[in-house]
Amino acid sequence: MTRLRTIFVTPAAVLMLVTIVVPAAIICVYSVLSRGAYGGVELPWTIENYGRLIDPLYGGIFVRSVGLAAAATVLCILLGFPLALFIAQSGARRNLYLSLVILPFWTSFLIRLYAWMFLLRDTGLINTALQSLGLIHQPLPLLYNTGAVLLGLVYGFLPFAVLPIYATLERLDKSLLEAAADLGARPLAVLTRVTLPLCAPGIGAAAILVFVPSLGTYITSDLLGGSKTILIGNLVQNQFTTARDWPFGAAISIVLMIVAVMLMFAVRRRGEELL
Amino acid sequence: MKRRTLLLGGLAAACGRGPRLNVYNWSDYIAPETAPQFERESGVRIHYGTYESNQEMLAQVMSGNSGWDVVFPSGDFIEPMRELKLLAPLDHALLPNLSALSPEFQRPPWDPELRWAVPYMHGVTGILYQRSLQPAPATWADLWDARLRGRLTMLDDEPEVLGACLKKLRDSINSGNPAELQAAREQALAQKPLLRAYLNAEVRDQAAAGDVLAAQAWAVTAAQAIAAAPGKLAFAFPSEGFPRFADNVAILRESRRAEAAHRWINYLLHPQVAAGIVMATHTASANQEALRYLPPQVRQDPVLYPASEILARGEWFQAQPAASQKLRDRLWTEIKSS
Amino acid sequence: MKRGLEVYAIAIYAFLHLPLLILAIFSVNASRFTAWQGFSLHWYQAMFADRDLLESAGNSLAIAVASTALSTVIGTLAAYALWRRASNWLAGGLYLSLVTPEIVTGVSLLALFQWAFRYVDFRLGMHTVILAHVSFSIAYVVVVVLARLRGFDPALEEAAQDLGATEFAAFRRVTLPYLAPAVAAAAMLAFTISIDDYVITSLVAGVDSQTLPMVIYAMARRGVSPVLNAVSTTIVVLLGTLVLLSERLRRA
Repeated sequence: MTRLRTIFVTPAAVLMLVTIVVPAAIICVYSVLSRGAYGGVELPWTIENYGRLIDPLYGGIFVRSVGLAAAATVLCILLGFPLALFIAQSGARRNLYLSLVILPFWTSFLIRLYAWMFLLRDTGLINTALQSLGLIHQPLPLLYNTGAVLLGLVYGFLPFAVLPIYATLERLDKSLLEAAADLGARPLAVLTRVTLPLCAPGIGAAAILVFVPSLGTYITSDLLGGSKTILIGNLVQNQFTTARDWPFGAAISIVLMIVAVMLMFAVRRRGEELL
Repeated sequence: MKRRTLLLGGLAAACGRGPRLNVYNWSDYIAPETAPQFERESGVRIHYGTYESNQEMLAQVMSGNSGWDVVFPSGDFIEPMRELKLLAPLDHALLPNLSALSPEFQRPPWDPELRWAVPYMHGVTGILYQRSLQPAPATWADLWDARLRGRLTMLDDEPEVLGACLKKLRDSINSGNPAELQAAREQALAQKPLLRAYLNAEVRDQAAAGDVLAAQAWAVTAAQAIAAAPGKLAFAFPSEGFPRFADNVAILRESRRAEAAHRWINYLLHPQVAAGIVMATHTASANQEALRYLPPQVRQDPVLYPASEILARGEWFQAQPAASQKLRDRLWTEIKSS
Repeated sequence: MKRGLEVYAIAIYAFLHLPLLILAIFSVNASRFTAWQGFSLHWYQAMFADRDLLESAGNSLAIAVASTALSTVIGTLAAYALWRRASNWLAGGLYLSLVTPEIVTGVSLLALFQWAFRYVDFRLGMHTVILAHVSFSIAYVVVVVLARLRGFDPALEEAAQDLGATEFAAFRRVTLPYLAPAVAAAAMLAFTISIDDYVITSLVAGVDSQTLPMVIYAMARRGVSPVLNAVSTTIVVLLGTLVLLSERLRRA
C-alpha cells in the first residue's frame, strides 16, 4: 500500500524467511538424506527415515506423546475453566487475580519444574512429610514416571489455558446470561448451555496453546520423567545431539511440524484470532 | 572479566582478546586450582566447559568449527575422531613431560605412538551400590534384580549399556556380531522397567543422597560418591568382566592455538599437577610420577587402583568399525525409545 | 456456586504458587536436607561465589537485552504494518513461529547455522543465540502490540496527515505514543522469554555463550541442590517483579 508499510514489514519478513522458511527447507532436505558413519548427513537420498517412524517402537513414542499432551490439555481446560470463571466474576479485584495467574506463568519454566523435583523426590518435602506423619513407611516413587511428567505439564501450561478462556469470558455479553436466567434456567444450566458454547473459541485457543507445546515438550520429561520417559521432543533432541542421526531427527521434526500446522489451521478457523 | 559487546555481540567472539584456550572436559575432572595456576604460569587464559559423555562431546565438535581447542576423548573414540579428521597430530618435542606416564599408557592400544592423544585418567565401569543393599550385587546380572525397581540407574552411554548386557551374556564388550548385539538389546529392554533413569556422573549426588540403590557407574564417579557419603556406599567389580576405559587429552584440528594447547597438555602431565587433580577429584591418573605425591590411602584405594587379579577381568573398549557402530547406534536409540 | 468457585480458586492458586514459595523457604534453610535447621543466607553467598554462574548470568543478560531491543523494534513495526494491511503470509509465518514446538525451532536453527557455517567462517556463539531469540520473540511482540492496535482509531492518523504530517510523522507522533504501554509490555515479555529459554539456546549456543538456564539445567539434572534453590528464588523474585511492572504498564 505505502512505502512506509513496506519498510516496516521488511525486517520481520526477512527474519521470518531466514529463520523459519529456510531452516524448514533444510530440515526437509535432511529428512530424505542418509546418516554418515559416525553422524553427519550424506547422500544417497532415501525415505528410510520416514519408514522408521512406522516401526511400532517409534509409533509407541508418538502414541505416548499424543496421549500425554491430550491428557494435559484436557486437565488444563478442566482445571482452568472454573478459575477463569472465578476471575471473570470477581469484579474489581480481577486484575489482582489475573496477575496471580500470570506471575508463575512468566517466571522461569525451568525453575518451576525444578520446584517439583524438589518436592517429589524420595527425600523431598512430600515424602518426608508423609513419613513423619506416619502415613507411609517407604518413600513413594513420585518422581521419574509419566505421572510426574503429566503433573509438570499441567503445572506449566495451566496459565496458558486460563488466559484465553478468561479473555472470551470477559467479552461475553452478560445480557445473554441474564436473558437465560430470566427464562428460568438455573445457574448450572446457564453455565453449560449458554456460557460454555459461547466460550468455544477461547477453549479452542487454550487447547492448541497447551497441546502443541506439550506434544513437543523436552525438558519436562527429561527432568521429571528421568530421561526414561522418551517423548517425541526427547527423541528429536537426542538425534540432533548425542545420537548424531540428523536425517532421522529431521524426519520426526517434519512430522511434528505438519501436526502443529494442521492443528493451527483447525483452530484458526473457529478459534480466537491472536494475529 | 571478559567484556561483551551488547548488540551483535559475538562478531568479536571468534577473535577474543588475548591468548585464550578453550578446554572441553568431563565434569569434575580437574582441580579448582589447576586452570588458575596454568593461567598464572603461562599467561594463557583458560575457558573451561564440561560434558557428560563422549557422544555429547563428539556431537559438539563434529562440525569442525565448534570453537573448542582441547578435548578429552576416551580411548575408543580416538580412532573415529581421527577418521573424521577432527584431531591434530601431537608434537612430542613440545611435550617433555610425556615420560611421566605409566609404561602401560606410554603405548596404549588405541594410539601406540601417542600421535593423537595423551592418556589422562583411567578407570573401570562397575556397580556402585548402597551398603544397606544385602546381599551385595557382584555381577552384572544382579542389576536385573526386581528388588531394585525404580532405584536403579544405568549409564547414559551406548558402549557401556550394551557392554554390560553383552557381559551378562558372556560375550565381549566390543562385539560386532549382530546376533549378539540384538540379544544384548533384548536384555536392555528387559531391564528398562526397573530403571529409574540413564545417568552418567549425575548419579553421584543421587547415590550419596540415598535416592539410588544401585547404579552402573564409572570408578571415578563411585569414588567421588563414596567420599561424599562415607560408609554408606560401596563399589563392586562384576565377576563376568567389566570395561576398562582411559580418557585422553587431544587437540582439535580446528584449533588455531596449537602451541598453547601443547603447553596445557604438558602442564597436565607435570606430576605435581596430576597429583593435585587426583586429590581433588578422586580419579586414577595415567601419570606414574604423580603417584609419588599421593598419600598411601589414595594410592591404595581399592576402587581406583584395584589389585591386578581384579583388573585382569577388565577389557578395554575398542573403536567399532563403521558398520557395527551404525548398528549399535540404532539399537541404542531403540533401547532409549522404548 | 460462588462460594464453591472461591474455594476452588484458593486451591488452584495454592497449587500454582506453593512450590515456588517452598523453594524460597528452603533456600534460606541452613541445612542442605529437607529438615529445617535454622535461617541462613550462606547458599546465597555460595551462589555469588560461583564464577560460572555469574558469567552465565551475564551472558543471559547481554543476550536478553540485545534480543529484546531488536525483537521489540522489528515486532512493533511489523505489527503496525499488519494492522494497516493484513498479510496472510506474514501472519501465517508468525503464527507458525508461535505454534512450532521449541525443539523443532531449535534443531532447524541449528541446521541452518551449521549449513551456513560451511560457507561463512563463523561459528556458534552469542550472535547465533541472539538471532535465535529475536526470531522466536517477534511473534509474541506482534501479538501484544497488535492487540493494543485493535483499539486504535485509524481516523486519528488520517487526521494528522490531513493536517500536513507525513506518514512516518503521523505514526511517530500519534500512534506510537498510544502504543507505548504495549511496546513496553511486549519488551518485558520478550525479555523474560529470552532469559528463560533453554531448549533453543542449548542447541545454538557456542563455546563462550553458556546461559543461565543452561547452567541451571545442568545443576537440576544432577539432582536437588540448595544453591540451585537460592538461584531459583532470586530469579523468580526478579522476573516476578518485572512481570508485575509489565502488567501495570499494559493497563496504564
